[in-house]
Amino acid sequence: MRGLIEFVVRYRNYITLSTLVVMSFSLMSIGNLSDLGGFRAVIVGSIGWIQSAFAWIPNPVALKSENTALRELNLQLAVEVARSRQAIVENETMRKMMRLPQYTEHKLIAADIVGKTTTEQRNYATINRGKANGVREGMSCINDAGLVGIVIGASENYSVLELLINRDTRVSAKVLRTRVDGVIQWEGENILVLKNVPRSLDVRKYDVIVTSAYSSKYPANIVIGRVSTVEDEPNSLFHRIVVQPSVNFSTLEQVFIVDARPDPERIGLERKVDETSRQKISQ
Amino acid sequence: MALNFDIRRSEYVTNPVLRYIGYGVIALLLSVVHVVFLRFMQVSSVTPDLLLIFTVFIAIYEGQFTGMIAGFLCGLLFDAISTDVIGTNALAKTFAGFVAGYFYRENQGIQIVGSLNFLLIVALSGFIHNLVYSFFFIKPMQVSFWVFFLQYGLAATLYTTVTALFLMLFVNRRRD
Repeated sequence: MRGLIEFVVRYRNYITLSTLVVMSFSLMSIGNLSDLGGFRAVIVGSIGWIQSAFAWIPNPVALKSENTALRELNLQLAVEVARSRQAIVENETMRKMMRLPQYTEHKLIAADIVGKTTTEQRNYATINRGKANGVREGMSCINDAGLVGIVIGASENYSVLELLINRDTRVSAKVLRTRVDGVIQWEGENILVLKNVPRSLDVRKYDVIVTSAYSSKYPANIVIGRVSTVEDEPNSLFHRIVVQPSVNFSTLEQVFIVDARPDPERIGLERKVDETSRQKISQ
Repeated sequence: MALNFDIRRSEYVTNPVLRYIGYGVIALLLSVVHVVFLRFMQVSSVTPDLLLIFTVFIAIYEGQFTGMIAGFLCGLLFDAISTDVIGTNALAKTFAGFVAGYFYRENQGIQIVGSLNFLLIVALSGFIHNLVYSFFFIKPMQVSFWVFFLQYGLAATLYTTVTALFLMLFVNRRRD
């Protein structure tokens, strides 16, 4: 017995350490918060009460990090809002474009604008549809607003459009209300001009201009724009009619290619007559 | 006047019962400080462990046996207020008290606490404490032990040691 007491006294620190370690492990094995139930609930409740009593003391460090977190959140939300707005616009555009095929007799090939190029006042756009999708040179391009341009080159998967706002573009057009004919030309920026309309003919502001059936390149009755001003040019027999294009070329993203090409028989005949006329004049 | 009293001759120091009651009160106060005020000292989620410093202090002042008991009780208190798994801090602080107890010298407690040795003892005890704590803390988590220990354990040890500097300086000035 004496030996045991001496042993305990001598090694009391190690025995205490072992005992406390065993006790700690035992407590750990009890497990999580819920196993201790009421006791822990009292402690947590007391801590909460103490913390709420001192909650009025501001914490600059926490405020700073909270401010940073809020700024990040704000940025994320701003991006989300921008995306949502974009989605709304795209949704509206797509809805309009979904209705478009109902109003045309031709098959339409949907395409996205993937690039735009401007070379000396010649505006072109590249679309992500090509010969593999049935796109061919000479096909017209439209969207829900109206005439966009014409396909001037096509590879297997891409095509290049000559836009309406191009120095080389000439479109046979007519005033929808009065059936007056003329030729649409681009005059820079966002201005189209309806040319060759005599001053005696009836054209008014807000008249709708559409493609004419006389055109061998474009299908008839596609909206081009609205008349914004009608002026009488001095020393001229013609009106100066400025047309506001219905297509917004600066936000152009989705288009349709009209699967209709000019009638080769008609073009051939027109060329033949033209050549014959020239020969007669030269003789 | 109150600042001029001799801490070594105070009844709270000479009377063991009052001294242990004093330890208990201080431990409770430190717990409240930990819960309420340590958020102001938080650096990247790391806070100094005031109860660990107190455990080391008791171990140096009272010896290894009392240091271990104090560590165990302080650890239990810490587990309770930190809503940790009960026993984790108790085990870690028991080891801290055990290690710190090796530096106990009879009647030289105040001298040790007031010297730079105290910081070394706190650093060593803190290292052992955080090693044990990290091991049991991350056991149920999918976190690498060494990553957690190097990221938080060493940082907490350093921060606790720096905080212990204030106690060392305070005791050092009282001693002089």
